[in-house]
Amino acid sequence: MMTFDQILFYALAVIAVLSAIMVITRRNPVHSALFLITTLFCVAGIYLQLHAEFLAAVQVIVYVGGIMVLFLFVIMLVNLETLSQERRFNRQWHIAILVSVVLLVEFGTIIWRGKAALQLPANQPLMDTLTTNNSEQLGVVLYQQYMLPFEIASFLLLVAIIGAVILAKRRLSSDGK
Amino acid sequence: MFNQYFQPNDILIIYPELLLALFAMGVMIIDLFLDRAWKVLNAFTALVGIAYAAYALYRLKSNALNLSGYNHAILNDSFAIYFQFVFLIATALVILISARYLSIEGENRGDYYALILLSLIGMNFMVMGIDLITLYIALELMAVSEYILVGYLRTNRQSNEAAMKFFLLGAFSSGILLYGISLLYGISGSTDLRVIAQRLAERPSHDPIALVAVVTLTAGLLFKIGGVPFHQWLPDAYEGAPSTITTFISVAPKAASFALILRIFIVGLKPLETSWVPVLSVVCVLTMTLGNITAISQSNIKRLLAYSSIAHAGYLLLGLIAGNEYGITGIAIYFLVYAFMNIGIWTLVVAMRRKDLIGDQIQDMAGMIYKNPGAAVLMLVFLLSLAGIPPTAGFIGKYYLFASVIQTHHYVLAVIAVLNAAISLYYYFRVVVVMFMSEKTDEEKMTLSPGVLTSLAVTLVFTLLIGIYPEPFIRFAQNSLSLFQ
Amino acid sequence: MEPRTYLWLIPILPLLGATLNGVLGRRFSRAAVSAIALLSTGLSCALAIFEVVTLSDVFPIIERHFTWIQAGSLRVGYDLLLDPLSSVMVLVVTVVGLLIHIYSVGYMAHEEGPNFGGFYRFFSYMNLFMFAMLTLVLANNYVLMFVGWEGVGLCSYLLIGFYFRKQSASDAGKKAFITNRIGDFGLTLGLFSLFWMFGTLDYQPIFARAAAMPVEPLHQFGALTIITLLLFIGATGKSAQIPLYVWLPDAMEGPTPVSALIHAATMVTAGVYMMARSNVLFSHAPTTLLIVAVIGAITALFAGTMGLVQRDMKRILAYSTISQLGYMFLACGVGAYAAGIFHLMTHAFFKALLFLAAGSVMHAMRGELDIFKMGGLRKKMATTYWTFLIASLAIAGIPGFSGFFSKDEILWRAFNSPEYGRLLWAVGWITAGLTALYMFRIVFVAFHGEFRGGDEAWHHAHESPRVIRVPLVLLAVGALLAGYVQVPKFIFGGVEKFSDFLAPVFASTTTHGVAETAVNGGHHLELGLTALSVLIALAGIGIAYLVFRAKPERADLLEQKLKPLHSLLFHKYWIDELYSTLFIRPIQFLSTWVLWKIVDLFVIDGLGVNGSGFVVRGLGRGLRHLQSGRVRAYAGWVVLGAVLIVAFLVFKV
Repeated sequence: MMTFDQILFYALAVIAVLSAIMVITRRNPVHSALFLITTLFCVAGIYLQLHAEFLAAVQVIVYVGGIMVLFLFVIMLVNLETLSQERRFNRQWHIAILVSVVLLVEFGTIIWRGKAALQLPANQPLMDTLTTNNSEQLGVVLYQQYMLPFEIASFLLLVAIIGAVILAKRRLSSDGK
Repeated sequence: MFNQYFQPNDILIIYPELLLALFAMGVMIIDLFLDRAWKVLNAFTALVGIAYAAYALYRLKSNALNLSGYNHAILNDSFAIYFQFVFLIATALVILISARYLSIEGENRGDYYALILLSLIGMNFMVMGIDLITLYIALELMAVSEYILVGYLRTNRQSNEAAMKFFLLGAFSSGILLYGISLLYGISGSTDLRVIAQRLAERPSHDPIALVAVVTLTAGLLFKIGGVPFHQWLPDAYEGAPSTITTFISVAPKAASFALILRIFIVGLKPLETSWVPVLSVVCVLTMTLGNITAISQSNIKRLLAYSSIAHAGYLLLGLIAGNEYGITGIAIYFLVYAFMNIGIWTLVVAMRRKDLIGDQIQDMAGMIYKNPGAAVLMLVFLLSLAGIPPTAGFIGKYYLFASVIQTHHYVLAVIAVLNAAISLYYYFRVVVVMFMSEKTDEEKMTLSPGVLTSLAVTLVFTLLIGIYPEPFIRFAQNSLSLFQ
Repeated sequence: MEPRTYLWLIPILPLLGATLNGVLGRRFSRAAVSAIALLSTGLSCALAIFEVVTLSDVFPIIERHFTWIQAGSLRVGYDLLLDPLSSVMVLVVTVVGLLIHIYSVGYMAHEEGPNFGGFYRFFSYMNLFMFAMLTLVLANNYVLMFVGWEGVGLCSYLLIGFYFRKQSASDAGKKAFITNRIGDFGLTLGLFSLFWMFGTLDYQPIFARAAAMPVEPLHQFGALTIITLLLFIGATGKSAQIPLYVWLPDAMEGPTPVSALIHAATMVTAGVYMMARSNVLFSHAPTTLLIVAVIGAITALFAGTMGLVQRDMKRILAYSTISQLGYMFLACGVGAYAAGIFHLMTHAFFKALLFLAAGSVMHAMRGELDIFKMGGLRKKMATTYWTFLIASLAIAGIPGFSGFFSKDEILWRAFNSPEYGRLLWAVGWITAGLTALYMFRIVFVAFHGEFRGGDEAWHHAHESPRVIRVPLVLLAVGALLAGYVQVPKFIFGGVEKFSDFLAPVFASTTTHGVAETAVNGGHHLELGLTALSVLIALAGIGIAYLVFRAKPERADLLEQKLKPLHSLLFHKYWIDELYSTLFIRPIQFLSTWVLWKIVDLFVIDGLGVNGSGFVVRGLGRGLRHLQSGRVRAYAGWVVLGAVLIVAFLVFKV
């Protein structure tokens, strides 16, 4: 008998996968974008189930609020007429399906064969979940244990900015001519 | 301010990287004040930065042995320091040849050097990192810089296209890699490679999740070094990128990715050796053979060298498969050698880029012995070295790698590797034939700037010196054996 | 006390010459270039003679310079070794090399024009070759020997392709290169196996340990047999034996002094030297020895037949070289290493002489090499004729000339070999007849009879200058006298200076190896066999006289009558064509069509919209282009790779 938690998880997971499939099969890009938002919401729900409230909130704010809005902007700006006439799949799609199915079967085989050895470690909460809240825990991990990667990530962003500037400069100079 | 996660010493461990970062910003700021005619000073600034970093690194080397810092996120052991020296050497040589090339292409700006220095920081952390998150972020720092550099020629469509492909596929492979990393975290509850190794050893053999993790890690990492069948991006990127950047990415990032692979496989995945050694053996054979045989039919020198570089990745995998002291020393010395010989040969390709002439077809080298006899002889030396003919440096590297698999009784691999080395001679020699034994087609001489000449002199001297007197270099490379501690 | 030795100078001097000429030669006058080349070779030669003479009673000398590779137990150093074997080689290389250098000064003097690759470059390559060859023979470990081995190869390709504007010349260079690769592949594996087995690559410890091992049984493939077979594959490449001989005839595209020095006297004998050097290993592997002997004998016969019908003088000499190398292999194969080296030495003299004389003729004929366009040259070129005749008599094995002594020794040892001895002897014996026949075919057709090249050419024909004639005469003296260091017992009790000199090198072989089989049968049998070989040599000369001198029209008649046989021989058994169909075309096909065009271009482009020729316009278009397949296909390959890896694990686990 499944608990309510399990039912909720499977429901969210199924919706996430189904809408992910819809994302790539819809002809209208706006529909695709909306289905992508659904997927992201479902994933955020799963995060919530894991008591990762902060991550869930960030997921919604950054992806749904920021990135998806950008996506929609771009979609609105380009000509919808021509886009909807393009083929959704190129000729490789059956090969792709075949390969994906083979991969699935293979992973399945591996897990099936080794199911005796399959044991997951018990969930180890990073800190006491009752006394400290989730965002505080994340902060501690990010700024203490993973301080160095966090700092390196700032360089990563710097590089991304430089890259964006180079790309933008290209546009300006070619438009200017 | 200080706690168990951050000690005052930690700053000292990453001192070279801090200097590099400082100079990366410095180059961009100084660039703003420079006239078009003085842009060459950017290269100079970057070189000064590298010199400082090298000095700082040297001090680190002489100060202590295994410096662990930031709550064990990084481990600056002699393995890491050795590879950082290789990166610094390679980067310095690339910067030397860049200034003139960029001004011919009309793209002489400071951000180019800044990006090179920033990717250098990424590579340094890749070899220091012992924590999967640090490793991954450092890898991305290096990779993103590479994507931008590959597409650096704004008006060149081939360059843009190559960058786009490289970026999309790189992101794809990073996704696969990240999947593997998360699986490892899932089964071990830690991102520290040493802890992961302990946990993996405790788990039952044939653990399915561990196997899937190995597969995805292997696929993601092999992509970075261009192992078959994950190699397709490589010839396109090498051909499309500005030649100086091709020079760069064919040596330093490759060495960094290999060091990363060594860390992950030899330290973290050691307990699963029985499952990844056969996989890598097959990939190794495919990589060597396909790289060499496909190179035979190339008419573009950049593509030819790209396929040859794939084949070299195959030889390098031999060292990992052996996984013993010989193999690791072999990989280490090979990259030192590879830095010199490969940059040498690419420098010549860069110098072939003359006004109004791309110069990247093999046919463009026709009769080079009559136009630029010195360059032709240099090319011959580098080609011999790439082919692994004594007494050039390439022989020493190949010798170690081949001997390592013989030590671990992988005889079939050794035979295939030697056979491949024999095949590779064919296409290297084809270039020699064109240079020495055919009519020159034009009178256009090479572009030999002082930077190019310096780079050529250094690469030539070391390619021969390591070949003739490898003793001190081998001892230097044996620093990398700290990997086993 | 160890005497002070300067072995390292012997190879270094030519290297200096090569560097000087190579770097600055363009600015030097021809006289200066010749002076540098001759001086460096001459000094090296003088030093070699001096060292050998003064040190011969304290052999072997090992000069250790510095450590080259140090890794664990393995130490490879720049160590030079002077022992009887290497001193014979060093003397042959420097003396013959010096004479050929002198000759080249005269020979190359007239070379100019669009086909010419440069006077200074020629001498620079030649000196570089001397350096590499001397390194090869003086090395005290296999790695250093391998350095020289590859070095002589490189110089050989560069010099074959010296007249690079001739397509055939650069093709020949390529062919030599590729064929040698196959041999070197074997050699490299052999060296690796040696290291694996003995943990070192220095000669002395390997030979000491190998000598203590039991001799492997015949017809079985033990470790030593495998190793020696691999080494032997290397030798077949460098010394042009079946099946890797095909490059040598084509190598004659190079300048004649190169053919004489590299492709007759020195480099091609490197394989024989290597086997003689490794005699301890080979003697412990009777299976390999048998194979070596059989291959050597077959090559000797096979190449001899091909030489019979060629029209190009240098090509005939090339086949003759292959055939004579076959004799040397035969000698090694029956354990008569000293005899093999003896033949190597005498052959160096008379074959270098033959080539140089051919070059002199070529000079007189303005590059014409077809012997049927010559005739009666004896009247115009006395010195060339007489020296060529002496060399021909020597190679034919006429008593009194050097070739007689060495060939006779080999045949006698082959006869006494326990395995197929009589058969090997018979093959060698027939080859001796063929040798005399094709050599005197040249003599009678080119130097006697009527001139067939037209009046104008006859008028131009002239004797070569003194700088060419002097080396010819000196080599002729060598070809005449070099044999007297080793004379069979039945002639005035015999002289055994040469084998006594070399005895220390082959000592362990004669005590432990198979070669110790007592030379039985006595002097009478030996005398009888010698008489037989002299007889067949004379018969060969006689047939040549009857067919080509007495009634030249008989040659055509014979050719008509034996059309299929002639055609088979003239086309060299169609071996080149066979190799091309069997090996070269499939590999090219694989590379171009299967791996590149199909896998890398067709699969990727063909499945999507063809993208390779598509030029992107702007970034937006660029993205669209990317969507059209190429990047997806690449990503597809990544996934496919993952699928294959998982599949591999699934089936393995």
